[in-house]
Amino acid sequence: MEFAAISLLNGISFGMVLFLLTIGLSITLGLMGTLNLAHGALFMVAAFVGWTAAVKLGLNYPLAILLGGIAAGLAGLAIERGLLRHLYKQLNEQVVVTIGCIYILTNLSMWVWGGAYHAPFTGFTGSFPIGDMMYPVHRIATIGIGLILFFAIRWLLEKTRLGAIVRAGMDDKETTTGLGINLGRVTYLAFFLGCFVAGIAGVIGAQMLGANLAMGWTILLLALIVLVVGGAGSIQGALLGSMVIGIINAFGIALVPDFARFFMYVVMIIILMVKPTGLLARKA
Amino acid sequence: MEALRVEGLSKNFGGVQALKGVSFTVQVGERLAIIGPNGAGKTTLFNLLNGQEKATAGRIYFFGQEITTMPTYRRAHLGQGRSFQLTSLFPNLTVLDNALLAVQGTEPSRFQLFRPFTAYKHLFTKAQELLGVVALWEKRDDLVQALGYGEQRRLEVALSLASEPKLLLLDEPSSGLTAAESTDIVTMIRNLGPDITVVVVAHDMDLVFGLAHRIMVFHYGEVIADGTPEEIQADSRVKEIYMGIEEETGNARAS
Amino acid sequence: MGAANLKSFKPPRRGDVIRFAPYIVIGVILIILPLFLPSHLQYLMARVFIFAIFAMSLNLIWGYTGLFTLGHAAFFGVGGYASSILVMRYGIESFWLIAPAGILMAALVAAVFGFIALRVSGLYFLMVTFALGQLLSSLAEVDAWRDITGGTFGLRGIPPPNLGIPGFTWNGISWYYFVFLAFAICYFLLHRIVNSPFGHVLQGIREGEPRMRALGYNTWRYKYIAFIIGGLFAGVAGVLFAPFMMLIGPRHFAIITSAEGLLYVLVGGAGTLFGPVIGAAVIISMEYGVSMYTPERWPLILGAMFVIVVMFLRGGIYPHLINLWRKVRLRYSQWKH
Repeated sequence: MEFAAISLLNGISFGMVLFLLTIGLSITLGLMGTLNLAHGALFMVAAFVGWTAAVKLGLNYPLAILLGGIAAGLAGLAIERGLLRHLYKQLNEQVVVTIGCIYILTNLSMWVWGGAYHAPFTGFTGSFPIGDMMYPVHRIATIGIGLILFFAIRWLLEKTRLGAIVRAGMDDKETTTGLGINLGRVTYLAFFLGCFVAGIAGVIGAQMLGANLAMGWTILLLALIVLVVGGAGSIQGALLGSMVIGIINAFGIALVPDFARFFMYVVMIIILMVKPTGLLARKA
Repeated sequence: MEALRVEGLSKNFGGVQALKGVSFTVQVGERLAIIGPNGAGKTTLFNLLNGQEKATAGRIYFFGQEITTMPTYRRAHLGQGRSFQLTSLFPNLTVLDNALLAVQGTEPSRFQLFRPFTAYKHLFTKAQELLGVVALWEKRDDLVQALGYGEQRRLEVALSLASEPKLLLLDEPSSGLTAAESTDIVTMIRNLGPDITVVVVAHDMDLVFGLAHRIMVFHYGEVIADGTPEEIQADSRVKEIYMGIEEETGNARAS
Repeated sequence: MGAANLKSFKPPRRGDVIRFAPYIVIGVILIILPLFLPSHLQYLMARVFIFAIFAMSLNLIWGYTGLFTLGHAAFFGVGGYASSILVMRYGIESFWLIAPAGILMAALVAAVFGFIALRVSGLYFLMVTFALGQLLSSLAEVDAWRDITGGTFGLRGIPPPNLGIPGFTWNGISWYYFVFLAFAICYFLLHRIVNSPFGHVLQGIREGEPRMRALGYNTWRYKYIAFIIGGLFAGVAGVLFAPFMMLIGPRHFAIITSAEGLLYVLVGGAGTLFGPVIGAAVIISMEYGVSMYTPERWPLILGAMFVIVVMFLRGGIYPHLINLWRKVRLRYSQWKH
C-alpha cells in the first residue's frame, strides 16, 4: 500500500519537474511555431549552475534556483535571437539547428564542469513519514512549487493583458499584429519566461536526478512525449501530460524497470496516431 | 449521358456549413461555369468532386459510377482532371519535368523502378504536345519557380489536361492574368472537343460569358440560380449579389 | 527543405562522352589511391563509404521524397544487430547468409515502421519516426535480454565477415575494397531507382503531393515503397558497420545516429545522389582530424556544423561543385568549336 503511495508521489513530483520544463516548449511551439529541441539542454545547464551555486558556492537554495533559471533563460534567448529568429516556420531547419545546440551546450558544460556525475543535492532537507516509510520533503516541496507556478502561470495567461496577447498570438498571429499589438516583444518575454521556468525545473530536478551530461537528451525525450500527450499551447495540457508521463514512469521504473521507457514511447506513438494534437491541445 | 451527378451534397467544417445539400447534373460536353462571391462554397465543391475533402452528406456520380468516397488518384484514372486555384506546380523541377510527371500519371510505366526515365519516348512526345498547347515548350528547361505568374497559370491548366480527362475541373484558371492571357485560356478551352466536359469556377465575367453554355450561381453554400447566360443576366437576385463585381469588370455581355 | 533536381530529363545526346569523365576520374582515384595510403587512412575511407551508404539511403526518403525523418538509424541498427546476433549467438558463420538476413530484417522493420509512421505527416511524422527509433534503442538496453542483445553495452568483439574465401585476410586494404564494392553496387542501384519513372514520381511528391494525387498517383504507396527501400539500404550500412567496428550498441538505433545521417545529407546536398557521399566524407574526415588534437571538443564542432550548415551553407557542398563542373564543360565545348 505504501509502495503505491510512494510511487504515486514520485510520479507526481517528477511530473511537476516535467511540467515546468515543458511549459516553455509548449508555449513556444504554440506561440511561435518554433520547436526548440535544445530546451532539454537548458534544463541541464541550469542543473549544473544550480549545483555549483548550492554546493560549491554554498549559496542559499532559493538563490540557486533563481540563478539556474536566469542561466537557462539567457541561454535560451541567445538561441532564439541568434538562430531561431531567422528560421520562422521552417520546422526542419529548426530541428537541425537546435540539435546542434544540444551538442554545443552539452560539450560546453563538460568543458566547464567536467564529465563527472554530480550527485543530487538537497535544498529542502528532511523527510516525513508515510506509513512505515519516510518520504523526502523536497519532493513534496517540488509538488507544491509546481502547483503554485501552475496557478500563477494560468493566472498570467488568462487574467492579464499580457496573457491575452500571448493567447491571441497563438490563435491568430496576423490579426494580432494587424491590430497594432507589438507581438514581437511579448513573444521574446514569453520565450524567456519559458526558458527561465525550465531552468527552475532544472535546479529542482537536480535534487532528484543529480546533474549529468546526458540530461540534455533524456529529459528532452520525456518533454516531447509530454507535449504529444498533453498537446501544445495549453497549460492544462502540459500539466495533464506531465502527470500521465510522470506516473507511468514512476510505476514503470518500480515494476518493470527495463520497459518503463518502452511503454512511454508506445503511449507517445499511439497518441500521435489517434489524436495527434494531444489530449488537451489548444484549438486553433 | 450524364457526366456528373450530384445529390444532396453537404460539407460541414466544424460548425460552418460550406455546402448545404447541393444537387445538380452536368451533361457530357457541357460547358458549365460556377460563379458566386468568395466563401460561397465553390472551391469546397471542387474539393468534394475531386476528392481532396470528404463529404459530410450526399453522393457524387461520375459517368454513372458512384465516387463519393473514392480517393483522388483513382478519380484521375476514371477521367477527372483538375486545376487548382492556388498554383500547384513542382517549383524545383523544370517545366518539362512538370509536364512529364503529369502525362505519366495515368500510365502504367509510373511504377517502373529500374529502367531509366529517358527510355520512355512516348512520354516526351506527349509532354511536348501538352507544352505546345500552352506555348511553353521553349521554356521547358526552366525551373518552374523562375516562370512568371501568367506562365505558371498556363502550365497549371496544361497539367490538368495531361491525362486527357473526360471531365475538366478548372478552379479560377484566369485569376491574376492579363486580359490577353485570359483570352488565350478561353480560346484554349473552346478548342477542346465536344467529348470533354468542362466545369469552371470563375470570377472573371468575360471568361464566363465567353464560354459557358450554362451558369450556376452559388451563395452561402447553395445554388441560388441555374440557367443559360441570358437567364442569369436577367435574374434580379444575381444582380443584387453581383452589383459590385459587374461594376468592376465593366459590361458583362454574352458573346 | 528545398532540394533542386539538377539533372534535367533530357535524353543525352550521342557522343556526349565527356559526361562520363567525372565518374571515370573519381572511380580511378578511389580504386588506386588507397594502395598508397597508410592503413589507418584505408580504414577511414572504408568508414566513410559505410556511412555514405547510410546517408544515401536517408536521402532517398528525405531529399528525394521529402519525408523528414528522425528515426532512420533504426534500420541501420537492425541490420547491424540482426547480422551480428546470428553470428555471435547462433553460430551462423557465412557472411552470405547473415548479411541478406540482416538486410531483410531491416527492410521488414521499415515496412512495419513505415506503415505506422506514414499515417501522419509533417511534425507528427517527425515525432513518430523519432519515437520508433528510440523505442528500439530502449528495447536493446533491456537487461533481461542481455544474453542475446548485450544489453546497454551492446555486442562487442564481432568477428569480421566470413566470406568463405580460402586464404583471405582482413586488413585495411581488404576492408576498403570490400566496402567500396558494396558502396559501388548500392550507388549503382540507387542511381537506377532515382532516375527511373518511380524516382521521378518521388520528387513530384516532394514538390507537391496534392497535385500528384490529382494527376493519378497513389502517393501513399510510393512513399511507403521509398521508405522501405531507404530502410533496406540503411540495413546494408548496418550489416557492414557491425563487423567493421567490431561492435554495435543501443545508440546505433537512436537519434544521435539518425542526426548524424541528417548532417551528412545536409552538408553534402540533399536531393542529389552523390551529395550525401561528400557530406559523409567531409564530416567523418573532420572527426578524424579533430580527434587527433582535441577529441573532447569534437561534439562541440559537430554541433557547430549543424548550425553552420543551416544558417550559412544551405543546399550543401555538392551543388556548388556541380555548377563548377558545368562551367568547365561550357568552356570545354566552346573551346572545341
